[in-house]
Amino acid sequence: MLSELKERLLDVLRTVAPLIGIVCLLQLTLVRAPMGLFLQFLAGSTLVIIGMLLLFLGVDLGILPMGRFIGAELPRRGSVLLIVAVGFAMGFATTIAEPDVLVLTDQVSRISQGSIDGSGVLYVIAVGVAIFVAIALARIVYGISLRLLLTVAILVVVLLSLVAPQDFVPLAYDAGSVTTGVLTAPVVIAIAIGLSSVLAGRSAISDGFGLLGLASIGPIITIMIMALLTR
Amino acid sequence: MTGMAMLEELKSTAWSVVLAVLPLVVLFTVFQIFLLKLPRKDVQRILVGTAIAAAGLFIFLLGVGIGFMPFGRAIGEALGSMSQKWLLLPAGLFLGFVTTWGEPAVRILAEQVDQASNGSIRRSLVVYAVCIGVSVFVGLGMLRIGYEIPLLYLLLPGYSLVAVIMWLSDRNFVAIAVDAGGVATGPLANTFLLALALGVSAAMGNQNPMTNGLGFVALIALAPMVSVMTLGLLMRWKESGKISPKEP
Repeated sequence: MLSELKERLLDVLRTVAPLIGIVCLLQLTLVRAPMGLFLQFLAGSTLVIIGMLLLFLGVDLGILPMGRFIGAELPRRGSVLLIVAVGFAMGFATTIAEPDVLVLTDQVSRISQGSIDGSGVLYVIAVGVAIFVAIALARIVYGISLRLLLTVAILVVVLLSLVAPQDFVPLAYDAGSVTTGVLTAPVVIAIAIGLSSVLAGRSAISDGFGLLGLASIGPIITIMIMALLTR
Repeated sequence: MTGMAMLEELKSTAWSVVLAVLPLVVLFTVFQIFLLKLPRKDVQRILVGTAIAAAGLFIFLLGVGIGFMPFGRAIGEALGSMSQKWLLLPAGLFLGFVTTWGEPAVRILAEQVDQASNGSIRRSLVVYAVCIGVSVFVGLGMLRIGYEIPLLYLLLPGYSLVAVIMWLSDRNFVAIAVDAGGVATGPLANTFLLALALGVSAAMGNQNPMTNGLGFVALIALAPMVSVMTLGLLMRWKESGKISPKEP
């Protein structure tokens, strides 16, 4: 437990250090923001480091085992439909708790001055992830080629981005890249590995790959559809 | 920040964390009752872990709110008001490279690629490829905000490139490359660069932040995909060159 904590702390520090380094450099050379704001940044960074550390720890201790237990139990029921349904539900529930998704949707309501409801966007993103996790799990069951599925998904994305209201296109793509982070990834992968173990003759590892990439295309599609419908 | 505003921030952050984590807890409870029937000790551990994660989420969001967002924005505004717009390109190249270099997930990806290629693509090569890829896309992303170039002009060629290379490159690489989209964009880089891009956009004056400020993170996710797929393509060419050197 303690060595795990130390390792996680090093991980977080390694990620934050370059960022804080650049910020200090920029503050000294180019930005020269008021000292108060700079101190506020340092205080905020400390909170961010503590927060990330606790988040990782909580994921290791609670969320990851949750995913593993579910992933191990589901195959025993022998129902593919159940696995896909659980994948859908867990994809949704983990996405709405994903830190960067929460930050993005919060910013959306701010920069649109309240004309776009951030929490609505949050749920639309989560539904997108959920649907594509379900599709990705179904892909493993039916052995559909990842390339084929991706090509179709990319084509849909491209077509939608040409017809959707252009105000929403950048938001849609951003939503795609902030999903499948610290919470979603371990849970969804655990479920996929559970699924692979039911289907004899498939390697768990190669089937699990590609899942997150597919899942992150989901929100791009659902946000653009939302934009088309609410126009 | 005044005391009142601080309190308001605390309250709304706490509320959004509760809303965010509650469905997960409810789902787990339902699974526990109907499916899992885990021993009490495991349930306790999972719930304690989830509570710790929720506390972490709360502190993280608070830190982002008071530190990362305002200062990232301030940096963006300073960059955006530089006298010459083309300076945004080197600034972006630099920022993209350094933030990716620190991301632990990039190292994990490098390990995966190393294994999938049986060591023919070295780890350091992957790290460089991803860092350079992200760096180029972040640089272009900065220029895009400065010159108000539509996001799709960058994204559509990028995605088309991915769709084409995918069919040419090694099959094992496709899955790895697709998942690689997430590696360069951890929660830290995502929130900080988002704030920065919004700041640059704000400094440009009459821009719509929805179309110009957003879209930056999306470019960072596309970059590693392109990098890894290109590596896969290069590896395939190299291998086929070994087997039949006379083939063009």
